[in-house]
Amino acid sequence: MNRTLTRRSSRWAAAGAVALVGTLVLAGCGRTDGGGSAGPEAGDSVDDSPATGTVDVWAMGNEGEVLGELAAQFEEENPDVTINVTAVPWESAHDRIATAIAGGETPDISMLGTTWVGEFAATGAFEPTPEGLVDESSFFEGSWDTTIVDEVAYGVPWYVDTRVLYYRTDLAEAAGVEPPATWDELKTFTEGLQTAGAKWGLSLPPGGFDSWQNVTPLAWQQGGEILNEDGTEFTLDSPEWQEAFAYYASFFEEGISEPVRLEGGEIEQKFINGEVGAFYSGPYHVSLLLDQGGEEFADKFGVAMVPGEESRTSFTGGGNLAVFEDTENRDASWKFVRWLSQPETQVQWYDISTDLPSVQSAWDDPVFSDDPYLSVFGEQLQDSKAPPAIPTWAQVSAVIDQELEKVTRGDATVDEALESVQQQATSIGTGQ
Amino acid sequence: MTALATSVPPRARASRRDRRMTLTAWLFATPFVILFAVFMAGPIVASFAMSFTDLTTRDLETPFNVDIVGFDNYIRLFQDPRFTRSLINTFTFTLVGVPLTMALALLVALALDKGIHRFRTVYRVGYYAPVVTSIVAIAIVWRFILQPDGLLNGFLAWFGIQGPNWLESTTWALPSLIMMAVWRNIGTLMVIFLAGLQSVPREHHEAAMVDGANVFQRFRAITIPALRPTILFAAVITGIGFLQFFEEPYVMTQGGPLDATLSTAMYTYDQFGFGNYAYASAASYVLFIVIVALALIQFRLLGRKD
Repeated sequence: MNRTLTRRSSRWAAAGAVALVGTLVLAGCGRTDGGGSAGPEAGDSVDDSPATGTVDVWAMGNEGEVLGELAAQFEEENPDVTINVTAVPWESAHDRIATAIAGGETPDISMLGTTWVGEFAATGAFEPTPEGLVDESSFFEGSWDTTIVDEVAYGVPWYVDTRVLYYRTDLAEAAGVEPPATWDELKTFTEGLQTAGAKWGLSLPPGGFDSWQNVTPLAWQQGGEILNEDGTEFTLDSPEWQEAFAYYASFFEEGISEPVRLEGGEIEQKFINGEVGAFYSGPYHVSLLLDQGGEEFADKFGVAMVPGEESRTSFTGGGNLAVFEDTENRDASWKFVRWLSQPETQVQWYDISTDLPSVQSAWDDPVFSDDPYLSVFGEQLQDSKAPPAIPTWAQVSAVIDQELEKVTRGDATVDEALESVQQQATSIGTGQ
Repeated sequence: MTALATSVPPRARASRRDRRMTLTAWLFATPFVILFAVFMAGPIVASFAMSFTDLTTRDLETPFNVDIVGFDNYIRLFQDPRFTRSLINTFTFTLVGVPLTMALALLVALALDKGIHRFRTVYRVGYYAPVVTSIVAIAIVWRFILQPDGLLNGFLAWFGIQGPNWLESTTWALPSLIMMAVWRNIGTLMVIFLAGLQSVPREHHEAAMVDGANVFQRFRAITIPALRPTILFAAVITGIGFLQFFEEPYVMTQGGPLDATLSTAMYTYDQFGFGNYAYASAASYVLFIVIVALALIQFRLLGRKD
């Protein structure tokens, strides 16, 4: 399962949310306060006294299943508090939050996919992160950025996810190539994997859903950006983006990448049987490959930081924790969030959930620093970025997916595609 | 009791019974009517109203901030090449898929009704199985069939034909999905046609045989006219089902490659996901109008009595 959840959460229930809002509009009732009455830039500070009362938390997927274990410890340390965890399936989470906001029936805390923050913060449903709650610099920068909307932080990063390069060590050895550090080296490296027997040197999606996550880092690696300095305009037709698109497409033109989208499950199989020599993915693939490849496969693959140009920037995602403005137990909610972002708690959380810590100092723990796979993720997180938290990002990124596909399929030139991306993105707007 | 009953004139007694029957009927219908009003009619009306506003996610907390924008959403829809593309795809899918499904289902139904006696149950189950199988399981099997080196291309290779990469080709992706949808829908229609065929009076066929009519003449002159109501019903429900074309692209192609399999339902779904609730409502109403229009046309064409 792709932890970096973006737009394709099940949306049938969205119709329900819509119907609800529609009914509110029609019936002439509904909430009159809300988004407009935005408070100070950062909320009032939260003291250190023990938390009390009841806190309702929504968490998705695996996190929702196992958060209760960790919460029990918090309850032990704060005897007067009760944490109620509700597990929400990823597929319905987006709509459920939207419905909750529309109906004014939000929990106290919710976990959020990092790319949802902009969209939901724009409704005014979240509390700004209180002054001094956590030390912002203790988090990975790219990760902290996912909480920022219009220069205000909403919530705290909980766990992180970043892309690294998975490659077949046996094929690389046979070809006599080292893990690449630059774009040129990546070409030599993946061609080497092909001469050593892989049918395809590198697996890349030829466009389509979420392929922006593969092409955007290429623009970042040369200093390109999605938005201009003051965040008002898209810069998706800059020379850096043109280079990124052209470089991406060259893998298909040169026969290094197969122009086929691999669905979940297919990539592991093709990597294990040696058809695919390398691919980009997040941390969850380590355990998947160890499970499916069996004992002897553990020696046949490795992970490396993504190669780059000026920088080796990768894409980061993950989950954040946000507190709703409607919370009836504000202080206890923030105290729980603060506790979850302590380095010690985060190391324990990895034990329970295998989610990677968003706090940098947690990575000093030998669990991470001594692990050959995890240490690479730690290193990569120092140079990882997330898209800006703008409400329209899901829509804009879908345009990038679409136009990138035209290029890889030879239906449009890089210039045509980016001109169209820029024009469509501008007409969608930043939503701010 | 008996005395009372006989003292009431027959006519009045009947009408009282009628009234009681009506009351009972309403009593039984009430739960549905209430549920329908709250969970179906309400949202349907609300979403229609919403399609004339500019509601998006950012208005969720403050629904009073939404503006009424008239037909803007509808105008924008028809200016979006992706939406018109989705309509074309949906029509293609329906116009090819429905007649194909109906013809094949009728053929299978005829075979099962007349010809194959020994393994009839086995065949019925076989043809019906896809209907009750989960779309996800079906998708896995069909991806296997349609892969570049999959079953279908292996089969074509016997005849020296190099098959395309079905799902990744802008030309073949939609036909592939039509193929899959037809296979999946034959079962339902086959059952309906079988039921229809079994209600055709045997005497008509016997009489025609005495007159020297052959199999095809009897099929044209007796079976088809007798099946007309069944065919109308089948055409309407299959047409509606195909116009709501969603699951196949959702699990197989995500609307790609390059929107070749993007359906109107999928486009709507994506817009809901982007939080463009008003715009998505407008798109769903366009599809709704198309479906109603098609059903009316079918009733006009097939429903006439000769």
